[in-house]
Amino acid sequence: MSEKDLTEGLVYNYTSAMEPPTRDVRIEPTNAYLGTCRSLKRAMGQGCAKFNSRYFSQGIGCQLILALGIVRTFQNVVTIIHGPLGCASNNIGLAGFNKTARALKGKPANDVIWIHTNLDEADVINGGDEKLKNAILYAEKEYRPDVIVIGNSCVPGIIGDDIDSLVDDLTPLVSAKLVPVHCEGFRSRFVASGYDAAYHGLLKKLVDPPEVIESVIVGAQDEAERLERIRRQNSRTVNLLNVGSTSFGDEVELSRILTAIGLKVNVLPLYGHVDEIARMGEAALNVSICATHDDYLIGHLRERFGTPFVIDTLPIGIKNTNQWLRAIGAALNLSEETEKVIALETSQLLEALEPFKKTLAGKSIWVGGGETRIFTTAEFFQSLGMKVLGLKPHNFDRFAIPMLDDVDDPETAVAVAAGQPAEEIVYLKRLKPDLYVGHGGANGWVVRLGIPTIPLYGQSQNHMGYSGAFELARKAARALLNTNLAKKVGANVVLPFKQAWYDSDPLANIKEIQPEESLRSAVQ
Amino acid sequence: MENNFIERAKSSCALGGAIATISSLPRSVPIVHASGGCAQTLSATYNLGSGYKGPGYCSGTMTPTTSIAENNIVFGGEERLEEQIEATLKVMDGDLFFVVTGCQVEIIGDNAANVTNRFKDSEVPVLYASTPGFLGDGFKGYEAVLSSLATNFITPSTKKDKKKVNLLGFTPGQDVFYKGNLANLAFLLNKLGLEVNTFFGDGETVEKIKGYGQAGHNLVFSAIHGRETAKVFEDRLDIPSILVDLPIGDTGTEAFLRQIAEPLKIPKNRLEEVIAEERAFYYSYFQRFLEIHGDLDYQRYAVVSTDINYAFPLIRFVSEDLGWIPHLVVINEEPAEAEESAKYAAKFETLTANVKTKLIFEANTGQLLRHIRESWPYNRNEKYYNQLSPLFIFGSSLEGSVAQKTGAMLLPISYPVTNRAVLTRGYTGYRGGLTLAEDIYSVLVSNR
Repeated sequence: MSEKDLTEGLVYNYTSAMEPPTRDVRIEPTNAYLGTCRSLKRAMGQGCAKFNSRYFSQGIGCQLILALGIVRTFQNVVTIIHGPLGCASNNIGLAGFNKTARALKGKPANDVIWIHTNLDEADVINGGDEKLKNAILYAEKEYRPDVIVIGNSCVPGIIGDDIDSLVDDLTPLVSAKLVPVHCEGFRSRFVASGYDAAYHGLLKKLVDPPEVIESVIVGAQDEAERLERIRRQNSRTVNLLNVGSTSFGDEVELSRILTAIGLKVNVLPLYGHVDEIARMGEAALNVSICATHDDYLIGHLRERFGTPFVIDTLPIGIKNTNQWLRAIGAALNLSEETEKVIALETSQLLEALEPFKKTLAGKSIWVGGGETRIFTTAEFFQSLGMKVLGLKPHNFDRFAIPMLDDVDDPETAVAVAAGQPAEEIVYLKRLKPDLYVGHGGANGWVVRLGIPTIPLYGQSQNHMGYSGAFELARKAARALLNTNLAKKVGANVVLPFKQAWYDSDPLANIKEIQPEESLRSAVQ
Repeated sequence: MENNFIERAKSSCALGGAIATISSLPRSVPIVHASGGCAQTLSATYNLGSGYKGPGYCSGTMTPTTSIAENNIVFGGEERLEEQIEATLKVMDGDLFFVVTGCQVEIIGDNAANVTNRFKDSEVPVLYASTPGFLGDGFKGYEAVLSSLATNFITPSTKKDKKKVNLLGFTPGQDVFYKGNLANLAFLLNKLGLEVNTFFGDGETVEKIKGYGQAGHNLVFSAIHGRETAKVFEDRLDIPSILVDLPIGDTGTEAFLRQIAEPLKIPKNRLEEVIAEERAFYYSYFQRFLEIHGDLDYQRYAVVSTDINYAFPLIRFVSEDLGWIPHLVVINEEPAEAEESAKYAAKFETLTANVKTKLIFEANTGQLLRHIRESWPYNRNEKYYNQLSPLFIFGSSLEGSVAQKTGAMLLPISYPVTNRAVLTRGYTGYRGGLTLAEDIYSVLVSNR
């Protein structure tokens, strides 16, 4: 499916607004649906699934966490969380991870620095502007950052702190660029809104209009030739847009492939420097590896600078890596080179995968996590002869609809739930897949069922591109060499569910709102 | 410490502490009335940050929560809460359910207590505590949950059993080693003929917790935390409290045992027997390191940067048991009353090394480097410079780069601990002191 179809009808001209519309309104995804690939496709067509909710609910995540997940990786950045101490306190568990990731990606391995404005009861009544101001000035004085990002949480969102005015007042007083990000958790039922919130801030405050910068081009006869060479150079320069779950291995592999077809690759914006981000508008093409993550960013860059983009799929597995590459090649008129690379890489990879196919063929698998990643991962394992028993996307929207067709059996189970494991656990207990591939936070529960797991992504895992496909197969085959941990844990550790829940029909937990109520929700 | 922003607070909020506390109680299930991300995010703070303790029986993504959104903020979330409690009782298997609240629903004025009360006749108890994040840090959530247990669940008893003690002040998650610390204390106090009520320790049940009202005393292992809970235990359950320091190693544990012996009516001879026995055990192991200690000069200048529970007990251990130089203590929190701070500072007068330990209360994690530099004369390129070295820092995992910049070795003990994995480890008592010595010397020899 072409990019035009995937983003058809979407507009991206929101930078004059303080914040973008949430995904609830802008994309209309669902995070509560149980059925099959076939039934979900029908439901998405009818547009009814988006109003679903639950009687028994578990956490659906907070957009602030995903927004900060992007901005706190920037180089020389201080993140200020405007809220009580808990908001983004999970930074604590991830600070070491981010620091190591910086080192792994060859960037300065500085500490991740964040500040809580620490709003208390008095601030709920009087507002927290003063603490925010102090925090910004402290960040400037202590760390001399290039960027200070202010993530706004529920409390200031509800009491109405005006952080944008404060930012405007302070901008002349500090050398850092100040970026307000409106990511109040309560505003959206879809955590992916946090991506839009972060990119909204980035687009407003950090991305400059493209300009021809002074550069020494050796051998240019005159100014016209110099500009022409720069233009040519830029026309082969693409932005490879990374996400929180791309490892350095992924970035190296995807850059390798793109370089092979003749491109110059900027990997950003995560872990990027403010000067690199400022020049995002100069690239010839924006290459996304996850539509759920990037549509707001690349849609905006196209509206503002006319930069085309590729958003088709995630380069996981052979089929999708090739599809992704073809879309890039087609966009830059490099189809011939692309086909050469694809032919060579595919034949080498297929040969290398043979030994793993023997172990994996006939085994069953369940994949849970972000929509585009799980469908492409499942498609890859299916191509190795595995049976896909089901998928659990955290949410489901227009970007993944074409991927439903990639699952061979249209009656394959799909359980859409953001994080919440309860319903998925019932499916898994009944279907008993040989292997579970899961998002962070899910694998621990599943292994308690006695099912072996491998992670869907990870800091040191290369799952993308051709080498990523090899690694994924290698990992799955290794996991099946010894499943004793799952057996032992499954026999000795319980999950906190009643037997009645395991025996029930999880579908009864999904609340389908009647049309008139839906209308009310939609208006709100 | 003025109430201001905090750089890299070593805590979560009240709701975060409450979820960590409830999920560490035996077979207990939190029901979080808040926005959809609070339960998961706040759990992750401790599940990852506390030596990878994990979600326990039911936290993390498993936590039942109302996941309220914008329309509930406008129209109120009480109906949604009632629906969620009802559904949770059908789905989740627990011996105790605990409704706790986040900022959003407190600001809009949901009466969660009222809603919870509708379930007072349910088969399993459903309790409630108000825990919005803006109340303060994770310790506040611990206080709210335990205070609610003492107020609404534990049966008052006029018949006291002097042999039973309640252990307060251990906040699961905030204390990375709470499990091991409680187990070590149980071992030690059992030897004295006492029975311990730990809330979170091995072998506890909700039924047992109901009977905590029979205890003769509360032991509060903190200069700040657990005091609110202790007050409820005193007022409602008529159980007096004794404030103690975390006992670590020989000096700390002996002081602790002598402090509690009289009020707990421990027979004098039994007390002396236990001290002698445990001390003999302690030194029979402790002496193993004497060769490497002496041969490689393993005396260090010590900097401690932890929460208040660990600060004095750790510096006392390294000063009095290891014979190190207790140079600087930077505590990331401070008692609300100046008088209490002074009282805490007075403890440092009991250290017997020939230096005066510098004590600073400092909330901002990033300021430790400055405090260390200011604690010692700068190197002005003298030919002979008396350096602050060899240096050892006891802190959290966030102190990694400070250790690097000061050439120190680091043992992360205080929350957050993300570069160690912790199961049964604990540092309390004589045996915990040995475990701590093992960990310290393991760091010292790690490059050999």
